[in-house]
Amino acid sequence: MQVSRATKRRRLLRRIWANRWFYVMLLPGLCYFAVFKYAPLYGIQLAFKDYVLAGIEASPWNNFAHFRYMLFEQGFVPAFRNTLVISGMRILLGFPFPILLALFLDELVLPKYRRTVQTIYTFPHFLSWVLLAGLLQNLLGASGMVRKVAMLFSPQASETWNLLYDNDAYRWILVFTDIWKEAGWGAIIYLASIAGVDRSLYEAATIDGANRWQRIWSVTLPSIAPMIAIQFILRVGAAMEGGFDQVINTYTPPVYDKGDILDTYIYRLSFVRTSGVNLGFTTAVGLFKNVINFILLLMANSLTRALGQKTIL
Amino acid sequence: MRTVSQASPVTHNKKKSVFRKFTCFDWVLLLCLSIYALIILYPFYNALLVSIVPNTVYVRHRGLMLFPPEISFDAYAYTFRSSIIWTGYRNTLLITAGGVAYNMLLTVFLGYAFTKPIPGSRLFKFLIVFTMYFSGGLVPFYLLVKSLRLTNTLWAMILPTGINVMYMLVISSYFETLPASLEESAKLDGSGDFSTLFRIVLPLSLPLLATFTLYYAVDRWNEWYYAMLFARSTKNWPLQYVLRTIIQDANFLAQNYVPGQEAPDIKGDAIKMSAAIVSMAPILCLYPLLQKYFLTGLTLGAVKE
Repeated sequence: MQVSRATKRRRLLRRIWANRWFYVMLLPGLCYFAVFKYAPLYGIQLAFKDYVLAGIEASPWNNFAHFRYMLFEQGFVPAFRNTLVISGMRILLGFPFPILLALFLDELVLPKYRRTVQTIYTFPHFLSWVLLAGLLQNLLGASGMVRKVAMLFSPQASETWNLLYDNDAYRWILVFTDIWKEAGWGAIIYLASIAGVDRSLYEAATIDGANRWQRIWSVTLPSIAPMIAIQFILRVGAAMEGGFDQVINTYTPPVYDKGDILDTYIYRLSFVRTSGVNLGFTTAVGLFKNVINFILLLMANSLTRALGQKTIL
Repeated sequence: MRTVSQASPVTHNKKKSVFRKFTCFDWVLLLCLSIYALIILYPFYNALLVSIVPNTVYVRHRGLMLFPPEISFDAYAYTFRSSIIWTGYRNTLLITAGGVAYNMLLTVFLGYAFTKPIPGSRLFKFLIVFTMYFSGGLVPFYLLVKSLRLTNTLWAMILPTGINVMYMLVISSYFETLPASLEESAKLDGSGDFSTLFRIVLPLSLPLLATFTLYYAVDRWNEWYYAMLFARSTKNWPLQYVLRTIIQDANFLAQNYVPGQEAPDIKGDAIKMSAAIVSMAPILCLYPLLQKYFLTGLTLGAVKE
């Protein structure tokens, strides 16, 4: 039976009216996203304009000058390279760690003690990098404990010795302190995944004479492999995020060379510099970063879907 | 081995013999995990040491300090007498209280509305998830907040926080698991959609709500980023931003010292660490009590899949 257009529209309107209170519930949330997430998209046009104080509309178009200039701006290429290198190091070292931690925790047969150490491991996740940067100064800085200990062994640990100012050490410090802060939190999802493994598999393996290593290798790991794959893809998808919070709170001019990432570079050029601020240029760098980020995330998303996992987009 | 970690009646009998059955493997495991726990704890203990050992003693010390050779609370006294710590505390409390209420209201409403098959909801959901994938970037966001005239107000640290999309999706998928019959019978009794949400759905989701209230509270408590961008005058600084400034320059506290009192001669580190410990105290106190909620993580949504 053919339903006329008018009837269709009437039905739709009736359905909308019947659900009117749900739309009222949607409204504040939608307003939030419209104002704070979608309105800034309008400002992206600054990437193609010379910013003047009169505002976004008043700024003249500049024929992609910012993008052509980008390669010549002395800080841009190092920042881009650092972002990728630091991200890569975080994935290589930081990604396996929570998995290892979860496997270890799961094997620990003292439930109460396990709970306690897990509580300890997760605690730093809830603190800000502002605070942790302070703690780091006290460990690695000029008057830090690491130096006090080093001075016992080598007189070279002189007055100026400061690991946080050390270009060779800085990236490693970023990676390991990030593991220190987040690994416990990261392990939670794997622990939940391990808890979901069918117990009869372990019993069967035990009957077949498998020892604990073998059980980890041939039961636990294969069972959580899909979860590991998903997490890995998501992690790689976020490769353009070098960890703004951590870097901006711990870096200093001596380590800009190895530690400056795109986000800190954009921030510094936009707000810290006292002269020659060019908001159009930093918008362009931001757009460059976000487009690559977007492409990576889309790829990650379709990969996870190809693995048969539900995705959110 | 397995049965021990499960809460079954069998565990009780086996528990006594746990240590007797400990193999070499178990001891190594125990050792590794304990050492890692110490690695996590040491920086905090070190911060405490630095804050209570007089600076003259600390500076001259060589090697690892495990116990305070001398104790003085001068740094804390100094920190507490600085007015900016207290305005920081006040601002952070305001931001946390106001922010969490705002965050939870928006998140719960949106998450609940998304469980209903209303026309357009798929489009809305797509538009919202899209914001996780692409954003305008720092400068357009900054100019927007500036054009809304939120600069240099506490609102700049509350309003932009709005909704965490991950939290919202987890809450929404949890609502979806609640039996539909409960809502239907409430509706037959003449309950409106809002009162169904508040009287039926939310009371059934209390542990979940507690978890996410806590996560939002921690996020707001740790606020410093928006302050760095938008808070000009020190009277609008939240605690973490005050702390950030102190960590970068301990002399900053002296500038905000209560007039009429001479600043004592304490050097930077102790002051920095006393401020750090003061700022972390509430989380430190709540964390062990509420660890059940803290440790849930985002697995609430993930486990079901």
